[in-house]
Amino acid sequence: MIVCIAVVGHQNNPLYIQSFTEADDALKLHHIVHCSLDVVDERVNNPKKSGPMLNETFLGLLYPTENYKVYGYLTNTKVKFILVTTDLDVRDADVRNFFRRFHSAYLDAVSNPFHVPGKKITSKTFAERVTNIVKSVSFHTTG
Amino acid sequence: MADPAYFSLRKMLLDEITPVVMVLPTPLVEQRCQKNGLSFVQMLTPFSVFNNIDVPVRTASDQPYRLQKFKLRMFYASDIRQPNIEVTKKRLEQVIADAGNNEDSELYLDPSSLEARSTSSEPEFVPTWFQHFNKELVRSVSFSDHEAFDHPVACLLVVSSNDEDPISKFMDLFNKNQLPPLLNDGAMDPKIPKYYVLVHDNQDGSPERATKILAEMRNTFGSNDCRLLCINSSQGQSVDHQPNPWDPYGSNASPGQHLGCLLNNEDMDELRNFVRDLSSKDIIPNMEQRIRVLNQQVSATRKGFRNQIKNLWWRKGKEDTPEVQSVNMYTFNSIESQIRVLGDYAFMLRDYELALSNYRLLSTDYKLDKAWKRYAGVQEMMGLTYFMLNQSKKDAEYCMENAFTTYLRIGTSGKGNATRCGLWWVEMLKTSSQYKDAAGVYFRISGEEPLHSAVMLEQASYCYLLAKPSMLRKYGFHLILSGDLYNKCDQIKHAIRAYRNALSVFKGTTWSHIHDHVHYQIGKWYAFLGRFDVAMKHMLEILACSHQSNAMQELFMRDFFQILEKTGKTYNISRLQLPIVNISSLSIVSEDHRTYGSPAAVSVKESVWQSLEEEMVPSLSNAKTTWLDLQSKLLPTKLKQSNVCVAGEALKVEISFRNPLQLSIPIYNVTLMCEYSENETPPDANSSSSVNQGVEDGKKATGRESNSDTSLFTLSKVDITLEGGETTVAQLSVIPRKEGLLRVTGVSWKLSDSMVGFYTFDPDLITKKLSKQKRKAKQNANKLEFLVIKSLPRLEGAINNLPSTVYAGNLHRLSLELRNSSEIPVKNLKMKISHPRFLNIGNPEVLDVNFPSCLEKKQSYAHKDADLDVTKQSETVFHFPKDVVINNGTPFLLPLWFRAATPGNVSLYLTIYYEIEDKSTTMRYRTLRTNHMLEVLPSLDVSFFINPSSSRLQEYVVRMDIINRTSLRNFKLHQLSSVGNEWKISLIESLNHIFPSGILVPGQALTCFLKLKNVKTSETDTETDVWLGDVSNEAVFDTQRAPLVNFHHYERLHQKTAHQENQSTVDFMLISRMEESENVPSDVPTPPQIFSHHACHCSVSTKRPIWWLLDGPRVNHYSFSNSFCETKLKMTIHNSSSFVASVRINTFDSPPGGSPSGNKIGWHDMSTPPSLDDATGGRKLLESVPPFIWSGSSTTRVKLEPNATTEISLLVTTFAPGTYDLSNYTLNWNLLDSSDSEEKEGVCYGRPFYLTILGEE
Repeated sequence: MIVCIAVVGHQNNPLYIQSFTEADDALKLHHIVHCSLDVVDERVNNPKKSGPMLNETFLGLLYPTENYKVYGYLTNTKVKFILVTTDLDVRDADVRNFFRRFHSAYLDAVSNPFHVPGKKITSKTFAERVTNIVKSVSFHTTG
Repeated sequence: MADPAYFSLRKMLLDEITPVVMVLPTPLVEQRCQKNGLSFVQMLTPFSVFNNIDVPVRTASDQPYRLQKFKLRMFYASDIRQPNIEVTKKRLEQVIADAGNNEDSELYLDPSSLEARSTSSEPEFVPTWFQHFNKELVRSVSFSDHEAFDHPVACLLVVSSNDEDPISKFMDLFNKNQLPPLLNDGAMDPKIPKYYVLVHDNQDGSPERATKILAEMRNTFGSNDCRLLCINSSQGQSVDHQPNPWDPYGSNASPGQHLGCLLNNEDMDELRNFVRDLSSKDIIPNMEQRIRVLNQQVSATRKGFRNQIKNLWWRKGKEDTPEVQSVNMYTFNSIESQIRVLGDYAFMLRDYELALSNYRLLSTDYKLDKAWKRYAGVQEMMGLTYFMLNQSKKDAEYCMENAFTTYLRIGTSGKGNATRCGLWWVEMLKTSSQYKDAAGVYFRISGEEPLHSAVMLEQASYCYLLAKPSMLRKYGFHLILSGDLYNKCDQIKHAIRAYRNALSVFKGTTWSHIHDHVHYQIGKWYAFLGRFDVAMKHMLEILACSHQSNAMQELFMRDFFQILEKTGKTYNISRLQLPIVNISSLSIVSEDHRTYGSPAAVSVKESVWQSLEEEMVPSLSNAKTTWLDLQSKLLPTKLKQSNVCVAGEALKVEISFRNPLQLSIPIYNVTLMCEYSENETPPDANSSSSVNQGVEDGKKATGRESNSDTSLFTLSKVDITLEGGETTVAQLSVIPRKEGLLRVTGVSWKLSDSMVGFYTFDPDLITKKLSKQKRKAKQNANKLEFLVIKSLPRLEGAINNLPSTVYAGNLHRLSLELRNSSEIPVKNLKMKISHPRFLNIGNPEVLDVNFPSCLEKKQSYAHKDADLDVTKQSETVFHFPKDVVINNGTPFLLPLWFRAATPGNVSLYLTIYYEIEDKSTTMRYRTLRTNHMLEVLPSLDVSFFINPSSSRLQEYVVRMDIINRTSLRNFKLHQLSSVGNEWKISLIESLNHIFPSGILVPGQALTCFLKLKNVKTSETDTETDVWLGDVSNEAVFDTQRAPLVNFHHYERLHQKTAHQENQSTVDFMLISRMEESENVPSDVPTPPQIFSHHACHCSVSTKRPIWWLLDGPRVNHYSFSNSFCETKLKMTIHNSSSFVASVRINTFDSPPGGSPSGNKIGWHDMSTPPSLDDATGGRKLLESVPPFIWSGSSTTRVKLEPNATTEISLLVTTFAPGTYDLSNYTLNWNLLDSSDSEEKEGVCYGRPFYLTILGEE
């Protein structure tokens, strides 16, 4: 299950954080997302494989915590997408696919002329769309 | 390696992994030593560290080297056992608690900035007690049976010279029962070298007895192993050692006691030499010897191909044995233990190569045996050895990790060892600057025990900070985790430290959830510690938590106010976040010569007022030379720029507050902060006499104490309750009391009794903002500074009874009431109204007469009145009578007529100009500006259509359409009048049968026809009014009298359109009255609602520019006996267009319609009366037929100038009596010079004209 999805701006400012759990764990997820930015920075600054990774937006598994796996995605405008999931057995391709869909939703949201770049995304349409994407994606590969 | 970090672990290992000496003293020895406040071991400890012992050693392979640094660890036999877990735990807790208390002082300082931390290479900000704590942790697992470096290498038996029978005491000391379990349970060889020490206290007497005993000892135990130690040589006086070598060790001494006070320098030398001899002459050679022996044994049994095969086979054979092995499987006799001892001894004597080879050998054995703890221990030592050899870093780390995971795998018993191993591993990683990995290891060390984890997490966080590049977010995160754990263990101070450090990461970021949480927790913890002032600092940060959920906001607020209450202090917080001041909403209204009747009037654009006042006020430049010039003589020129306000008159300030929360918050005492300076220089230009009541005093800024009348200014106070998310505009005012300079510095409010927020206005910001608003003439002035001038009279004006909602056309009589509250009278009043269509000034006597009966027509002075009014209206400025002077206390009433002219929302602006009688004041005149908003609802729609009557010239048929547009109200029609004397109107038919009720209900439409006749003469009693109402005796209103005529005048002006100028037009005025609504109960008897609707410039002209009338006798008696009958007709043609027209009249002989019926001749029935309605110009077909012919020319052409009329004679010849329709002619007209193609030419067909010819007898 996807627990949280976040959009973080290029100055590492949160643009959008949405948790999909019932529990009151916003703070925890904020911490996890915030912390994962360090790993994103690290990935970006020390690319291990320079060749095919050059234009790669998908950053892969950022770090596993005890209960979660955190995935990252970096757009060309240095906006980061962070995905926190409880599924421990996830294929990269699925996550990649998810991020691609999320990215297009994000693009549509920021293309709104009323959206102020660098400010929080408040669009309800975006929130709905994200919820739909999250609901439609399941990382269960066992089946 | 020059890296200090490298040495730190090295030093640590050299400290920790050193030979242990077991000490067994008699009680008397201890007693003698306690004289110095020291135990025996403590006394020796400072001297058991050697930096330059310089002992030659040979390796097992006879390689000579010299040992420089060396250390002995001395322990009482009773201490050589595994420490009790509970005791250890308590001790660790104590360490942490002590550290927390020690930090007390810096806990309240501002944490140093993050940048400073990350740039400083030395990790000095890492609390020093971590090392202490780590050391304690490492020690907590010492004296384990699976490793040999904690096993004592020697034993000191210490007996006092005062002991009875010292020799037997020596024998007793090494008693099995007192020995540590390590020796007893076979983990180590009980046959360890023993050294016999006799301690002599010089205070007990001369050392003869001691030497005697020593000699006896030498005889018994052998001369090499016996020593004499003389202490307490200091005779009486206490010796002060500077620096005191025991300070770091003497822990349990009472504070007053001087450590080592009885030991003089000789004693110290003796102690030093004693330990030195012991180590260099006995212990080290002994260990060296032991290494050789063991090495030979190991070589014999394990080295070489044969032995390896044998060993392998032997171990394989053991594979079937159960995994759980007895503790004593590896006794000191076992080869494994011996290898381990060999390795550890070699390690302690720095023969790392030897140690490593043995550890390697051992590790495979243990692995095969599945003796995991021992395996891990060996791996750990291998790692350390690799490190000490400074060889393969990778191998070292691999070994450490292997050891660590193995320790963890064996469960609880390995936990302590895992921690120790982890700590060493961390140090190793730190040495190679792998801080990130080190942090990971710290994280792994942190186990279930919260306190322990907290410390480890905090250490991990510092590693993240030190990592290159530093990982600040992880640093913050781990600090938060550790802070939470500290909090769980009630280590509040540590928790605060962790959180405060974390704060530096989150400061300035937009991660507000985290930010709030951190501040909130710190605030709460400080409050828990009773440091409410510091707590408040943090609680203030969370006030604007608009992003939090409702519940969180409530929680924050509740705790905030709780802490605030406990603080017991009053806070003045600049730019308090709750509520948020919207500075851009600030608007200041000062009244100089312009005064405003209502707040709404203030918001009206200045240009509106200026255009209104243009004619009344002395022109702007003029005004400057009058009162401003006067001012400039009195005041410094600088102040010409500043705004002016009048003493005693309120300076109004509006500012909006926004509540960011979802909760409703009340704020009290919202008030302005002002500064007043008496002299007229600006306050920043020094001057001692300036009285500042502002913030600079540090006191409450808001002149609370200045409420009395004698004070300098009075401030208003407002209490507001802001609902969640609401923005409220607070209207504040300050009333200056004395002349001087007043400066508005800010706004303050009370969130609670002890929380005062204030917001200081930044003059630069506001200047920009206000400059476009009001103060056109003084753009550069400081908008917050006001020059207070002497108090002036100020007129208050109000229109009484002005309705806010009216129906269009409604006529009211109102009165304008002007009051002057000042002692100085005002005079020379003038007034201007923006919409004279709506408001009209009445004569003063109107106030007394009865409305609306005063409108009724009276014969006497109607015309005189009308003339007067019209001339008056030509002037737009109304001058009050010269003798009007408004004094204090006597209000002046001016009657006003009000008529709602058009539906819609209307703002009426009124400005009244007045002059002040007192010449000494700086202002000569002032203006009062009032504005009134009205909503006008539609009532009746009246429209008129006028067509020329076909039968008579100068007569018109008027169709009047009335629709009641209201939704509820009934209208009763009253009268229709044509305005002026030119037109006479009358009803064509009585309204009584088409409109019997006389009441127009909502939505009803009425059409009626009227006859309109132009009366050129100026007769006075032209019938210009038509009574439309039901049978009634009510009088007709006089449209020639004020106010109707005045309003009509403005309606005319308003409805005027350009191209109608030359045409003859008629103006109508419909007067009606609104029926009292039955649904609306009215308490007061309201006067009848009179409505007047004006339709002006109703053109009497038709669409056709040509207008004609055929005239002549209708009946002609003629005797046909003589000849046929000729009738002369006259056609009047009028050109109503503005162009020259050419008209051609064609007559036809064929009958009109061209479809003759059966009746060819003679009488016929005229059943259909000729229709009056010919608006369509259609030709009514009447079945009359010739014989008749037009005689004369069949075509006549005339040319008509604009607006000209001409007459043409026509002749018709009839042959028989009968009625003839003379409509068989056409008028072809052609406008010359007209550009409009549609209107250029056309044909008019003849209208029916019936000529009856009667035969004469």
